[in-house]
Amino acid sequence: MAGDSRNEPMFCEEGSSESGYVLCVIDSLKKKITSDRFVYIQKRVEENSIKLSPITLHSHNLSKNRQTSTSNSTDLVSNLLTKRKEDALCAVNSRESSPDESEGANCQDECSSTVIVGGNLSARNSVRPIRLPEVATLPPYTTWIFLDRNQRMQEDQSVLGRRRIYYDTNCGEALICSDSEDEAVEDEEEKKEFKDSEDCIIRMTIQECGMSDAVLETLARDIERAPDDIKARYEILQGEKPEGSSKKVSELNVKMEDVYGDKDLDAALDSFDNLFCRRCLVFDCKLHGCSQDLVFPTEKQAPLCSSDEGTPCGIHCYKLVSKPDAIMEIDSHLLVDVEEPTSDNLKDQIGSNKKKLGSSGQKTKSQQSESSSTARVSSESSESEVQLLSNKSPQHSPGLSKNKLGAKGGIKKSTNRRIAERILMSVKKGQQEMSPDSNSIVNGCHWPRDMKLRSDTRSGIKDSVVSSQCNSPSTRSFRKKGTLQMENNSSFVDAQSDSMEDTNNEHSATDGCDSSRKEECVDESICRQEAHGRSWKVIEQGLLLKGLEIFGKNSCLIARNLLGGMKTCTDVFQYMNYIENSSASGALSGVDSLVKGYMKGNELRTRSRFVRRRGRVRRLKYTWKTAGYHFIRKRITERKDQPCRQYTPCGCQSACGKQCPCLTNGTCCEKYCGCPKMCKNRFRGCHCAKSQCRSRQCPCFAADRECDPDVCRNCWVGCGDGTLGVPNQRGDNYECRNMKLLLKQQQRVLLGRSDVSGWGAFLKNSVGKHEYLGEYTGELISHKEADKRGKIYDRENSSFLFNLNNEYVLDAYRMGDKLKFANHSPDPNCYAKVIMVAGDHRVGIFAKERISAGEELFYDYRYEPDRAPAWARKPEGPGAKDDAQPSTGRAKKLAH
Amino acid sequence: MGPTSRNHKSSQKDVAPNEAKPPRYPQRNRSITASASASAFASPAVANSRVAKERPSSSTAGEGEPQETVLKLPSIPTLPARMAKLVPLEGLGCEAAVGSLTPSREREYKVTNKHTEGRRPVYAIVFNFLDVRYYDIFATACGPRLSTYRCLMNGKFALLQSYLDDDMNESFFTVSWACDIDGNPLLVAAGSTGIIRVINCATEKIYKSLVGHGGSVNEIKSQPSNPSLIISASKDESIKLWNVQTGILILVFGGVGGHRHEVLGVDFHTSDIYRFLSCGMDNTVRIWSMKEFWEYVEKSYSWTDATSKFPTKFVQFPVLCAEIHSNYVDCTKWLGDFVLSKSVENEILLWESITKEENPGEGHIDVLQKYPVPECNIWFMKFSCDFHHNQLAIGNRDGKVYVWKVQTSPPVLIARLNNPQVKSAIRQTAVSFDGSTILACTEDGNIWRWDEVDHPTAPVPSKKQK
Repeated sequence: MAGDSRNEPMFCEEGSSESGYVLCVIDSLKKKITSDRFVYIQKRVEENSIKLSPITLHSHNLSKNRQTSTSNSTDLVSNLLTKRKEDALCAVNSRESSPDESEGANCQDECSSTVIVGGNLSARNSVRPIRLPEVATLPPYTTWIFLDRNQRMQEDQSVLGRRRIYYDTNCGEALICSDSEDEAVEDEEEKKEFKDSEDCIIRMTIQECGMSDAVLETLARDIERAPDDIKARYEILQGEKPEGSSKKVSELNVKMEDVYGDKDLDAALDSFDNLFCRRCLVFDCKLHGCSQDLVFPTEKQAPLCSSDEGTPCGIHCYKLVSKPDAIMEIDSHLLVDVEEPTSDNLKDQIGSNKKKLGSSGQKTKSQQSESSSTARVSSESSESEVQLLSNKSPQHSPGLSKNKLGAKGGIKKSTNRRIAERILMSVKKGQQEMSPDSNSIVNGCHWPRDMKLRSDTRSGIKDSVVSSQCNSPSTRSFRKKGTLQMENNSSFVDAQSDSMEDTNNEHSATDGCDSSRKEECVDESICRQEAHGRSWKVIEQGLLLKGLEIFGKNSCLIARNLLGGMKTCTDVFQYMNYIENSSASGALSGVDSLVKGYMKGNELRTRSRFVRRRGRVRRLKYTWKTAGYHFIRKRITERKDQPCRQYTPCGCQSACGKQCPCLTNGTCCEKYCGCPKMCKNRFRGCHCAKSQCRSRQCPCFAADRECDPDVCRNCWVGCGDGTLGVPNQRGDNYECRNMKLLLKQQQRVLLGRSDVSGWGAFLKNSVGKHEYLGEYTGELISHKEADKRGKIYDRENSSFLFNLNNEYVLDAYRMGDKLKFANHSPDPNCYAKVIMVAGDHRVGIFAKERISAGEELFYDYRYEPDRAPAWARKPEGPGAKDDAQPSTGRAKKLAH
Repeated sequence: MGPTSRNHKSSQKDVAPNEAKPPRYPQRNRSITASASASAFASPAVANSRVAKERPSSSTAGEGEPQETVLKLPSIPTLPARMAKLVPLEGLGCEAAVGSLTPSREREYKVTNKHTEGRRPVYAIVFNFLDVRYYDIFATACGPRLSTYRCLMNGKFALLQSYLDDDMNESFFTVSWACDIDGNPLLVAAGSTGIIRVINCATEKIYKSLVGHGGSVNEIKSQPSNPSLIISASKDESIKLWNVQTGILILVFGGVGGHRHEVLGVDFHTSDIYRFLSCGMDNTVRIWSMKEFWEYVEKSYSWTDATSKFPTKFVQFPVLCAEIHSNYVDCTKWLGDFVLSKSVENEILLWESITKEENPGEGHIDVLQKYPVPECNIWFMKFSCDFHHNQLAIGNRDGKVYVWKVQTSPPVLIARLNNPQVKSAIRQTAVSFDGSTILACTEDGNIWRWDEVDHPTAPVPSKKQK
């Protein structure tokens, strides 16, 4: 650096000198890196060779052992190789002095230039070739994997953008099956990462020369990047150093801690949504792939009803804690009347509170006395003596309690804090302990104060106590709502009380309806609810929501199935009640109100659906022979010769209109669509009875679809011996015969040497006409991909492509089943048919005629005339159809 | 016609019209021309394979494979974690040490013999390193003929045995030595028909014929420590592991993660009995492991039932897939834990894979050294090493042999063996135990022998001469 600065005046251009210096630095660094690299390589190679030598020694020993082991077991005579070896040596030795030697000498003299004539084999004539009997070869095939259902091609299986080199048979020219343009684009897009060596250069150079634009510029030119990138990288490098690995560790710890933590249900369900196929009901579906669009059905299923009413689900069941629902309902009715005055009281209180707060300074005396009393109460109550408390409560006159509420405002911070802390402690305790009976009451005792504290906050006194208390989100939300909520509070409290009445019932029964007692109960209940709202994590609330969706308001089932280990039945029950009852006030935090919303909506929905369902049946009958069906039928006939259209479920939330992707795409809506069943575009299945699903009379059959037990009216299949219950006797005692692909009722197919060419598929048992034989499975690939692959397959004159629909082609080259080996024939005994099975197109092979056991299967590949290979062309004749379309792609099989 | 250069049309002139390797079948699977190929065939031992199964005159015979049964769940093997797909790093700090093409003349070799094997190309030549008695014995494959020779002193060969396949269309592409459990030397060879011939050289009888490959077999290697295990690389895009002792097909390596084109080369790891390498026309080198399936290997020794009943397993995913070449990779070999691989790019690479310990799916290829081989841009040109992996010999299109010192850095070219008489492409070389003799087999059906100059009295293993 010093030298550099000295030289500066001499050069007119400061930049050039500096860049020269920088270049020099970079250059030396590069040299160093390179030499380091070679040293490294040398080291590695040496290490490797050291490792290798014992290995070769070991195998040398092995080979030595082989010699000794065999020489013991087999004598020299029986080992012909050894014998011949010795013989050969003898033969040579005997001819030692014969012309061989001179020839050898000749070689030695002119080792690199002279012509060596002929072989100088010894004992050549004595060896007669031993014949290896001929073995029939197998017809050629490429290794393939068996598939029992179609699979969508995985990304890395694509031949697109991949170099595939073929040498032409005749001229040796390479044919590279790839789009070079595609590749180039990909390469450019790829953002280059900084390599270690580059990092090193950047760091060292900047350390050496300092950070300046010129340095960055030079660096940038040298390693072909933007100067900004380099600057950023340097900063990263600088940052990286001190922290190092400790950061990583801490990160990991954090991760470990909250696997579930504050994640809400959606986030937790993310992988489920992405990986679970809702059509096949499996994870990581190979056919429909991951990250499908989520389709939520408009019509929700009716929640499951619990069958075991009355029997508690466990020790924590709400039924054990409380009286049955019926009583509670009555109670709540009664309570409405009873509590009317109380709420008024409260309102008054609040009003007076406000007034008092306005002139809080005057009230110091009473406040002090109050504060001492509260302190006492709290300490006593923390002893958690229920008895004590119930004794205590009569002492408080209504007036006193009123005062208490109001007076709280002025309590000294220190006391407040202490109380608050204690409260928090007890809350925690309460959560931990699971036996609700005694605890709930203890909690109840604490909570009045808690509530008062909060009311303090609302009235504007923000002290640290409150903020320290406001840990849980629900409390925070309360605070946000501020004073406005205070007004609601009374009604809120009212609403609460009835839900909690059950817990208090015992007390109220014994103590009678003492008004102060009543109030305490009210307080208690609020606060208990508070405790619940507070301890419910986001994910738990999310789960509850799902539970309500699935089971309805059945806390037993929800707790058991979704919240096991997190919440008990009682918790769930109480929380549900809390949410429900607090509806009027609207005093709910986000998720709470969501839960609430669902509970409300669900009721509405169930009701309305009930109505709708009644209507639907009728209309279904009505529409059956009308619009919907004809519409589809017309479409079927129209599209007869066109490829089938790939179905993707639509997510329409109302009846499908013009924008519905299914409609625009030209497919019917299926059971996987989100749209209501009323949707006009839906395929409604068939109504056939008595084995009728085998002719074009059956709308399913006519539409090249399999019947779907979920959709069709009478199509079902019996399974098992009936012990699991037989479906309702819809129609007669009849099983649908149009579900063979769905049920995999295929024939046994054998693979063997074809009588015609290569491999062939054979039938094991004889079948009748139109019998389903099996499925042609394979990889689902796009047409573009198929054209690329077709190019390759055509070179090998062996293609397993099958046109499936407008989007996909089946390729059975590497994956498929044995039917892929069925050969082509212009006069076949089978036919292939693309059939829609549960929303997917599949290829079934059917018998065209009666086929007896052991016969080879053929079907017409129906290659398009101009694309067909020579052997598949139809013999020229008057019968040859001429429905050629302009073709662009490769030869692909077609179904009938 | 197979072995042709990407950019060199004229190389085809050297190739005899009928003898190009590997010939392409007219794979007319869908042909309607009735080519009556349904001949009942009886083989000494028909190995089972998943798809390959002969049909007796009536096609009613059931097939033991699970894929055809309806009720049994298909035996799609459980797929292990995705393989690592690694590419080499480039740029500063990742250079490879390139060997200089100036011979160091560390060892001097001279041509000592030439033997015309036949008119068809000799594709394979290999020394027997499995048994110390036979270190000086090598085998060759030329058309339908397999021969065993002994390297004698003074540059001579002695033909010991010769085997001729009755199927004159057979063209053996590869030959390898193996052993049965008694230690008898076996010769394993295969070629265009895809049938692997196992010959017991001690009795001079065919021992087994392994049928199962759906295409030609391009290379066979035997496991150095269990020499009755062999792997075969085939045009059918799979690699198969066989037990030649029992004739059982144990494992098939291919499928979803397998090669996407013909497999050209394989090599067993020298010390790790589970691992092997494969390379092929899809420009990749793959490392496979059979560790999880080793129980099947053990089972194969004691299998007494019909070979076709053996529960052959599919291994679909390799441990690693290295994309370091941009053209056919036709030969690969372990060097300790490093890998030597050769593509049609005039050089052999020495590389190692560097994967992260916590995540074996990530990493890169570190190309350490390069061994240039000029005029070697046609495929099916294989190299070989001496027993200790010290020197490597590879022939080129012009009939020159480059002998490299492998385990030095930077690599040293020991010698360039050339002789004006050797004009056609050298398909394979064989280096004797101590490297003093180098054999080369050529496209025009000759075997050439070079011996070390200052080694005149001591041809291959001198100590074993009685």
